[in-house]
Amino acid sequence: MESIQNANPTIRAASDLPTRRRKASFSTAASDPLGIFTQAIPSPSYNFDPFSSSSTSPISSDSDSEEGTEPIDTQEIYDLISTISDPEHPLSLGSLAVVNLPDIYIRPLGAQDLQVVTVEITPTITHCSLATLIGLGIRVRLERCLPPRFRVDVRVKEGTHSTAEQVTKQLGDKERVAAAMENQQLMGVLKKMLETCQ
Amino acid sequence: MANGTVQPRLHPIADLNPPASSRAWLSAPHPNLPIVATCASDKTIRIYSLSNFTQVSSISGGHKRSVRSCAWKPNLKGESSLATASFDSSVGIWRRDDTAHDAKETDFTTGGQGDNAEEEEDEEWRFALVLDGHDSEVKGVSWSAGGNFLATCSRDKSVWIWEEVGDDDFETIAVLQEHTADVKCVAWHPEEEMLASGSYDNDIRLWKEDADDWTCIGVLSDHSNTVWSLAWEGLESYKHIDSFTSPDHTAWLQRRQQSGPRLASCSDDLHIKIWRRNPREKQKQNPLSIIRSGSIEEEWVIEAELPQRHDRTIYAISWSASTGMIVSAGSDGQIIVYREKWQEDTLMTNNDTDGGPSTSVDEDASKDIAGTTWHVVGEITGAHGPFEINHVAWAKRADRGKTSDQEEVIISTGDDGSVKVWSFSAISESP
Repeated sequence: MESIQNANPTIRAASDLPTRRRKASFSTAASDPLGIFTQAIPSPSYNFDPFSSSSTSPISSDSDSEEGTEPIDTQEIYDLISTISDPEHPLSLGSLAVVNLPDIYIRPLGAQDLQVVTVEITPTITHCSLATLIGLGIRVRLERCLPPRFRVDVRVKEGTHSTAEQVTKQLGDKERVAAAMENQQLMGVLKKMLETCQ
Repeated sequence: MANGTVQPRLHPIADLNPPASSRAWLSAPHPNLPIVATCASDKTIRIYSLSNFTQVSSISGGHKRSVRSCAWKPNLKGESSLATASFDSSVGIWRRDDTAHDAKETDFTTGGQGDNAEEEEDEEWRFALVLDGHDSEVKGVSWSAGGNFLATCSRDKSVWIWEEVGDDDFETIAVLQEHTADVKCVAWHPEEEMLASGSYDNDIRLWKEDADDWTCIGVLSDHSNTVWSLAWEGLESYKHIDSFTSPDHTAWLQRRQQSGPRLASCSDDLHIKIWRRNPREKQKQNPLSIIRSGSIEEEWVIEAELPQRHDRTIYAISWSASTGMIVSAGSDGQIIVYREKWQEDTLMTNNDTDGGPSTSVDEDASKDIAGTTWHVVGEITGAHGPFEINHVAWAKRADRGKTSDQEEVIISTGDDGSVKVWSFSAISESP
């Protein structure tokens, strides 16, 4: 990151960011969204621990039924990704308005209880070459945190980026994303971006 | 027509055991032995028996990243050769002497012992050589029908053709760079030395050798998004289509023979298309034939689209050479089976829809060739639970439950690392 692409971004005050305001019963889940999901990830997809399949299989079966009773909403998705750091500013994607609550959609897919999460990102400037990296960070974050019944689509919001279509197509390509996740250098950058997520 | 009354005819028979420890990409059934090779993101290739559904051996330590694809060399006797394509930019060639393993693979009773067998067997695969050349992830690999040529494709936008020139010796005979983006898949014609490739640039390209040079002889552009998989029809599988003995049907069979095996393609655009070659003899009648005879370019047209059932990217299709049925699977976790049926009255309807100002010759061609429709004859949702399915393939059934030597199973490979075997019961439909 030799030269900063957008040296002077617009920043939102933390108090202006959407939260689930004071719903006591939800507060534990909202403040620690990962907590409830870590158990609910039976996905061995990115798990290279040889012992994982034996240790997660009994858990996954009963956590599956718990998931059914507690649907995930767009605020929870927002909470998972808004704290990701921008790759060139010490700021979160939420405070830079790269991710916005109204641009997150959840819809059911088919009869199989599958759900599609669509996140439309708004790059800070229209030619930001980091859009792909930001999108990848969001996709990786959600795929790690959400149960496997979720399909994650990350797209660049129309009209906000000069190569929106290209970036969106890349982010939708499972094979490219999988290959990127095997790239140590890239994963190092992503790890830094995701360090601020709790 | 009968779509509303489709019976669930896909039944799970078994999960291959043990599964991969992470995403499994593809399972390639052996051309003549009852085994299947599964490649996975844990850099390992597992070889399973289709007789008892357990692992017989594994290949690991060769690739440094995901093994994305693999293919068995056809036409070998007493020996097996497997080509593996990896995200580490390399292609591996592995060999094994089959004679020592025949007993194990045909014997149904030696199942279950697992670990011991696995350790013993790890030595059996001999790493023959590595094919270096691609600049980035290799995504697909395919042997030509005779086994002379190997094609590989990569994110570096190129397709490489390699020729096996001697023991453990391969020569690069072509580097094809006309695709403008990642090449996702390659598939050789079942008989001719013709290669098809599908790409992130949404196109399918056909390649043939012309006076010592491999050149693109056709661009099939109709998909509106990445082409993920290609499958060729078997040499004579269309003969299985139920038919009436009508003159139309006889004409159709002749036309079918002239154009040869068709090509099926599936895409991120949720469509599966069937492509057909326009038979060459047409050009001979053309006054310009003297000029054209030098050209090896071919005209391929869309003959049909399969009923659209998938809601997300279709990652894989497989066309059974013995039954002519197609199976597809993808991100939505569904497995769908399609069958082609003869239909007398489609001739007219099809002509009406594409009644453009084309030449009378072309119109005749489309009239003669249409005459079938594709129907969904089997479907299952959530085949791998909530996980995506990366690959499906038809294979000969080899377990105790098989009812005939011709019976086939469907092998599906998923993000959960599991490989599942499905039976497809071909209950004959009431007329």
